[in-house]
Amino acid sequence: MSNPWIAIGALALVGVLIPLGMMSVSALLRPSVPEDSKRASYESGEVPTGNTRIRFNIQYYMVALLFVVFDIETVLIFPWTVIYGDAVDAVGLGPALLPMVAFIGILAVGLAWAWRNGAVRWIRSPRAQQELTE
Amino acid sequence: MIVPGAMSLTDRFLELLGLDPSTAGPLLVFGVSILAAGLVGSFVLLNTAFAGPYAKRKITASFTDRISVNRIGPAGIGTIVVDSVRLLSKELIIPEDADRPAYDLAPIVLAGSALLAFAVIPMGSGIQLADPEIGLAYVFAIASIASLGLLMAGYASNNKYSFLGGLRAVAQNIAYEIPLVLTGASVVIFAGTLQLGNVTTPDTIVGAQQATLFTIGSISIPSWFGFINPFAFALFMAANLAEVGRNPFDIPEAPTEIVAGYQTEYSSVYFVLFYLGEFIHIFLGGAIIATLFLGGPAGPVLPGIVWFTIKIWGVFLLTQWARSAVPRVRIDQLIQIGWKGMLVLSLANLLLTAVIVGVIA
Repeated sequence: MSNPWIAIGALALVGVLIPLGMMSVSALLRPSVPEDSKRASYESGEVPTGNTRIRFNIQYYMVALLFVVFDIETVLIFPWTVIYGDAVDAVGLGPALLPMVAFIGILAVGLAWAWRNGAVRWIRSPRAQQELTE
Repeated sequence: MIVPGAMSLTDRFLELLGLDPSTAGPLLVFGVSILAAGLVGSFVLLNTAFAGPYAKRKITASFTDRISVNRIGPAGIGTIVVDSVRLLSKELIIPEDADRPAYDLAPIVLAGSALLAFAVIPMGSGIQLADPEIGLAYVFAIASIASLGLLMAGYASNNKYSFLGGLRAVAQNIAYEIPLVLTGASVVIFAGTLQLGNVTTPDTIVGAQQATLFTIGSISIPSWFGFINPFAFALFMAANLAEVGRNPFDIPEAPTEIVAGYQTEYSSVYFVLFYLGEFIHIFLGGAIIATLFLGGPAGPVLPGIVWFTIKIWGVFLLTQWARSAVPRVRIDQLIQIGWKGMLVLSLANLLLTAVIVGVIA
């Protein structure tokens, strides 16, 4: 049996070569008529206003932090799922299941806390709030 | 516990050429693997070419009571060739102040990463490029690279619609990634391994689903995980819709709100690559669902590859059905459904599966 990662590396190469191949075919086929107004960023036909790269509230900053926590949690859950069946045979249902119940329980408490503190709620910007109350 | 996997496609090719897979040098294996990878890639691209410019239009048209493409070739099938040439020969317009390396790399990242995840999927009839032990973790890891491509596209375009689309794509992906992966983990509890394997290897995810669950008369129902835990199956289907960005979770594109989202400024071949990557991703979602919940390429009478194609097209039809029939959720609703609904349900599902498997075992 050959090393599977060599084959996966080969598919990675093919996966890059297919887009590059399409790009080069397109480069041969397509016309090039450069013109400045074509390159203006598209804002529904209006003259573009202002810069795109400004600071604004992306709304899910707290959610992104929460994601990191849960992502690491899934990494810790995966080894348990793999050995779970064998563990039940070896030590019985309780000792195999209860530690993970406690682990997920702690996370659930954390999620409930974040939920209560409004971390997963969509926040109105101060200006939108003001417009709403006026 | 290390399970000897089923024979991979690379090994089959090596044997066809009269070489011994266990002694062949890495460079030779790589060369032969490129042939095998080309076959897998062609299969995926063939499905995508049929789905993207043709089947999608026909399906949407029948939902909205129209005829759609019918001019070129029988039933308009020639549209596939015509549209490919037409799109590839469009002028490429790069917006001013675009962040150049990222702007050009984003389409490659999206299309390439979606294709790369197909490496470990068992497609039946012995077509499985590789079968590493950590197969399922690999699939989830590679499939989520796509959101990086979307963010790169959104940021690099220097367009406000693109930027919003890219940020929305990230919000959506982080909200639905965890439920998706946790529901996938519940299949691992059942199978006891991350290796995807094949129909002939019982100690793998696909192999474990081939055992008989129960029999009705002379028909034996296999223990596909979708039959054992339909709740996990439904949860995974919903999270998958969000993962591939189809209704009701198509807010990263949301044509009525932000033009075309992250791909607003992409034209010509770059647009083709985005479109392609999106469809490869839908088929990848179908392939993961088929592998985890529908017994992989297993099925009666017909060969495995045919069943695999039927299953991924089934999931594709479902996404198109949702696209035509289900209204879009708002972004705040999306975050709430993801974090308050799906996440809690997926944790409950994980423990439920653990109890079911523990009691049966």
